[in-house]
Amino acid sequence: MWSMIKNEWRLLIRNRVLLGVSVGFIGLLVLTIYLGNEESKEQSERYEKAKAHMCEQWESIKEMNPHGAAHYGTYVFKPNNSLSSLDEGVNNITGNVLRVEGHVQNEIVHSEASQSQVVSKFGKLKGSLILQYTVPLLLIFLAFQSISGEKQSGRLKLLLMQGTKPSKLIFSKALSVWLLGNLLLLITILAYALFIGSDMNSEIFTRTAFLALSYSLYYFVLTALTIYFSIRWSNSNVSLTTMLGIWIVWTIFLPNIIMSSVENWHKLPSREEFKTAMDDDRSQGLDGHNPEDERSKELEEQTLKKYGVDSVSQLPINFDGIVMQADEEYGNKVWDKHFGDLRKVLTKQKQSYQLGGIINPFISLQNMSMGFAGNDNLHHQEFLVQVEKYRRVFIKRLNDEHAYGGSKSGEWGWKADNAFFKSVEDFVYKPTPFAKVVSNYVMDLVLLLLWVLIACILLILGTKKMRVL
Amino acid sequence: MIKIENAVKSFKGQKAIENLTLEISQGEIFGLLGANGAGKSTTINMLLGFLSPDSGVVQIDHKNCSKDSKEVRKHIGYIPENVNLYPYLSGIENLDYFSRLAGLKYAKSELKDFLSSCGLQEEAHKKKVSTYSKGMRQKVGIAIAYAKKAKVYLLDEPASGLDPMASNELSQLLKKLASEGAAIVMASHDIFRVREVCHRIGILKQGKLLKEINSEDVSANELETLYLDFMKN
Repeated sequence: MWSMIKNEWRLLIRNRVLLGVSVGFIGLLVLTIYLGNEESKEQSERYEKAKAHMCEQWESIKEMNPHGAAHYGTYVFKPNNSLSSLDEGVNNITGNVLRVEGHVQNEIVHSEASQSQVVSKFGKLKGSLILQYTVPLLLIFLAFQSISGEKQSGRLKLLLMQGTKPSKLIFSKALSVWLLGNLLLLITILAYALFIGSDMNSEIFTRTAFLALSYSLYYFVLTALTIYFSIRWSNSNVSLTTMLGIWIVWTIFLPNIIMSSVENWHKLPSREEFKTAMDDDRSQGLDGHNPEDERSKELEEQTLKKYGVDSVSQLPINFDGIVMQADEEYGNKVWDKHFGDLRKVLTKQKQSYQLGGIINPFISLQNMSMGFAGNDNLHHQEFLVQVEKYRRVFIKRLNDEHAYGGSKSGEWGWKADNAFFKSVEDFVYKPTPFAKVVSNYVMDLVLLLLWVLIACILLILGTKKMRVL
Repeated sequence: MIKIENAVKSFKGQKAIENLTLEISQGEIFGLLGANGAGKSTTINMLLGFLSPDSGVVQIDHKNCSKDSKEVRKHIGYIPENVNLYPYLSGIENLDYFSRLAGLKYAKSELKDFLSSCGLQEEAHKKKVSTYSKGMRQKVGIAIAYAKKAKVYLLDEPASGLDPMASNELSQLLKKLASEGAAIVMASHDIFRVREVCHRIGILKQGKLLKEINSEDVSANELETLYLDFMKN
């Protein structure tokens, strides 16, 4: 079998057109990864700069009322991931800046797409665009006449007359084309590793390896299917047309159709509905700025009892800070409830969409590619949760300072000093552990492996169906 | 060496071969003459094991061609009308590759000898097959069978499209192979070439072997008259 694969590669290398196309692909891939990496570096620099600027701004507060500072707030930036140069995933549209302040959980803003002059259906030129859309086309063009071409030229008879087993011939053809896909993949990964240099670590290596594995499996499915149609149809044009049809359906139509269906099955509330529901629930809580509020009064009684005094003015602490924190905590519960529901729907949507991999392995590939690159919605949601956790700690520190920092109730003019503001911890993003990422993509991996099995079965069936005359 | 006995083959109810009986010995060249659709290619495909007869016997070296096709093919050299080799490989590389597929590994000098024995000029050995003429490709095709040490050569319209010189070289080559003990079946339209090369000639019409002739018994003109008479009636 090895000599047949070697021969196929020798033919590829000697065919100037195919060689030119392959070299062109390699050049394009390397250039794309280089540009993606440069952009990624630039984004990281911008991120660091903005982060440092916000940090400096915060730490330069000389004196300020802590609750005033909570309203002043700060900004948290979504860190850039070096794997974005391979697959940017949803990052382009989700936004990367979030304002952190008291009383409100803001939405993430400033997506790259919102600032772009050009909107492309396929997104930006990234490694994933070429690896997902263009390389499969190259593999189809290389494989579509593997068997039908041999038959049409009459060489199939000669090959079989030399004692070649049909199964050996079919698998050699499939493997030689698949190996070319893997070579392109390997070059992409090596170029990426070269460009990121010392940023490579075991986490990125593992993610890259899994990403490459998912592409490799998909390329096998696509190649094997093309070879099967090349056996099934004696006319090469028919096998090419069939595969191009499948490519269009898999990569363009089915992902959109399945996503729309999933969104209909598991509906998310509209922005207005969601906001109204949140506001309604939020209005049931304490009004931190209104001392006449009933729940504030209840809290006041509890606090007076706790400190054994009769009036707020006798309290050794600032009661306003306690009210503010209680209000925050109520708001947090409302957020947890509504965003929890939203996340449940998003999880259901994701799981249903993953099932689309049963009829479309491209969906499994796309899911795994952005998941392993750390740029899927799961990572985005994880970032939002971490920011919210940080916001709670951040606001609590400010409210606690307001309550227990030395001021008395009603002293809205009291100010915390610079040392306090400097002591407030900055937001640190903790990347999602890879084991958690993998556990979310087990279904995609299993479905893609099932497709590999189906592809192998088709090749074996093709062996039996292969007609020489 | 080759035995066909009462072989019948039909396609969708249409008989392509009807009670064909033939025996060809080692060292013998048998010519199958007939118009298009007479059953020449069907006969060759049955011998190659790509088609099974509906009834009757098709054997090479006492082995059933369709049931023992793997074993039978080891001893067959097949030269189609157009020998389609790999155009981006040279003659010697094609020969090496096809020999390896048959499980045979030859040294470069041996490969060169095979090609030269089959009449391919040495300066062409390393040239890409895409630059070869049809005759040159056919010589490589024969060299592939020769390197396989085939006992039986099956040729389907081998002289079609060849210039007179190449055609003559092919005739000499086939005679040489027969003299080394090979049994050869050559299907052709070319009455004069068949008369010149073959020891015996069979005229096929609508799947039936109408006549078997010893080529020594007829001149080329007599064979042509005989053939045309059969075709007209």
